[in-house]
Amino acid sequence: MLDFDFNPEERLLTCIFKGRLDTVLCNQLSTELESKFTSLTKNDNPGALLDFGLAFDLKEVTYISSSFIRLCVTGKKRVKDGAFSILNTDPFIMKTFKIAGLDEILQVK
Amino acid sequence: MAENLTEKANDILERAIYAAAEFQEFNQEQTNKVVEAVYRAALNARVKLAKMAVDETGIGIWEDKVWKNVIGTQLVYEDIRDQRTVGVINHDTVTGISEIAQPLGPIFAVTPVTNPTSTAIYKILICMKTRNPIIISAHRNAARSTGEAARICYEAALEAGAPEDCIQMIPAGSREFTQMVMAHPRVALILATGGTGLVKAAYSSGNPAIGVGPGNVPVFIDESADLPFAISSIIMSKTFDNGTVCASEQSVVVEEKIAPQIRDEFKRQNCYFLSPEEILKVQNIAVVKESMSMSPFIVGQSVETIAQKAGITVPKGTKILLAELKGVGKDYPLSVEILAPILAFYTAKDYHSAIKLCIDLNYLGGIGHSAGIYANDEHRIMEFSQLINAGRIVVNTPTSQGAVGGTFNMLSPSLTLGCGTGGKNITTENISVKHLINIQRVCRRKMNDRFFSIDKPKYLDENCSEADLRFEYHKNH
Repeated sequence: MLDFDFNPEERLLTCIFKGRLDTVLCNQLSTELESKFTSLTKNDNPGALLDFGLAFDLKEVTYISSSFIRLCVTGKKRVKDGAFSILNTDPFIMKTFKIAGLDEILQVK
Repeated sequence: MAENLTEKANDILERAIYAAAEFQEFNQEQTNKVVEAVYRAALNARVKLAKMAVDETGIGIWEDKVWKNVIGTQLVYEDIRDQRTVGVINHDTVTGISEIAQPLGPIFAVTPVTNPTSTAIYKILICMKTRNPIIISAHRNAARSTGEAARICYEAALEAGAPEDCIQMIPAGSREFTQMVMAHPRVALILATGGTGLVKAAYSSGNPAIGVGPGNVPVFIDESADLPFAISSIIMSKTFDNGTVCASEQSVVVEEKIAPQIRDEFKRQNCYFLSPEEILKVQNIAVVKESMSMSPFIVGQSVETIAQKAGITVPKGTKILLAELKGVGKDYPLSVEILAPILAFYTAKDYHSAIKLCIDLNYLGGIGHSAGIYANDEHRIMEFSQLINAGRIVVNTPTSQGAVGGTFNMLSPSLTLGCGTGGKNITTENISVKHLINIQRVCRRKMNDRFFSIDKPKYLDENCSEADLRFEYHKNH
């Protein structure tokens, strides 16, 4: 349900999500993301700001829950310089971010 | 302090907007599953919630509150169950227009102290059916029971797959905070049921609102009516939950020639006519004279309690206190809306005077709400109905149950009754799911042949008259 692709030159972590991102799954994803962040950051403090950019790729996502929207907001806040974006959304998911009023803040593309 | 409140309001609306975003992804089947789960849980809790509401508020009768909960759950559910509220809800092959239902977004719902749990459940059901998250603001004296109703519904909704935070409550008691949430730019619609002040606040908030306030329901008993049936029906309605339904009868108006029979019938059915001295005593405790509004201390109280507070003695088992009044307005405090088993009684010299009295009562704080008529003369029923400014004119029916719908007629069962522009509402209908969706219309090309058949330069010719253009428009059709 979640793969990672880290580009050390660009200092960009792309998180590739798949399927239906419902509330139950989002709780697991949150843990997976946190452990990935910890492995890539030099700061050992949990919740420390990330010194690399973050992109969520939703190309293979069919449904997102409000928990996933929260996950995106948390992700955006974690990135030190705010370099966060959401990629490859289908129109239905784009509309979901639009309704949540987050399409611009989260740079949904 | 204000900053904290702003943060709190932002947090509630942020949660609601995320829920709204997820909710709009639901299809009809998923939506129906949530609605059914909420309905089942709420109906199963009907007795517990009714008892809680009466314990907490001290208003009404728990057995009647159960019936209100049944109306707010089972009857509302049966009414909305098969309605389409997601995606394409209608397609007309003749006009080529398809209608698509879209949710509105977060709905801020204010619930009253008189019908706390039933109104909360009903609002939750219609919001879930339309995929709108709901934020409930309970009356401060009914926060516990309303909160419990909301909790039961929320747990059932989550279990059925509804988005997190699709049902939220705001803490009761802070008018400042309620108004802050009400005016929040992310609120899509306010669904306010309550007193005049609250409804006014809803309309002043800057957000779209359906605000339903007080009524002052007149009932005319015509000479063609079945009198014992009419009196029995009025008693059943006015005593229901000790008169707390805003559509309950407030005044009975009759012609002089049948007044003695009606008085006798009321007495025979255990109602009590107050003497002029007793009227003064009752009005002193029932109405706040300065504001000409009912006293909150008598709302939903029994006849015994009211008599005790007023310092009068009435026969044991009295169902309703009747006050014979000579006029309407500030000199006659009992002519205003009183949600308790107190009923004004008027005699008029003839039919037209009686109707005029009903109009006066209707305009004394109850414009657009409800009215009742008992008659077996269709002409009089229709004449009365056309003269009265009421969203619902119920015929040969108890107004409390009749206006709410679903039991004595085919009106949509609802605990929020639109009062039209007279009550500063956009609709006179019983509020239901159709008021909580935006309907998009997909309009396919269907040429207006009459318009396109006209030689267009004729419109530019000043000498071409309306008659010429009308002829051209209808030519060959």
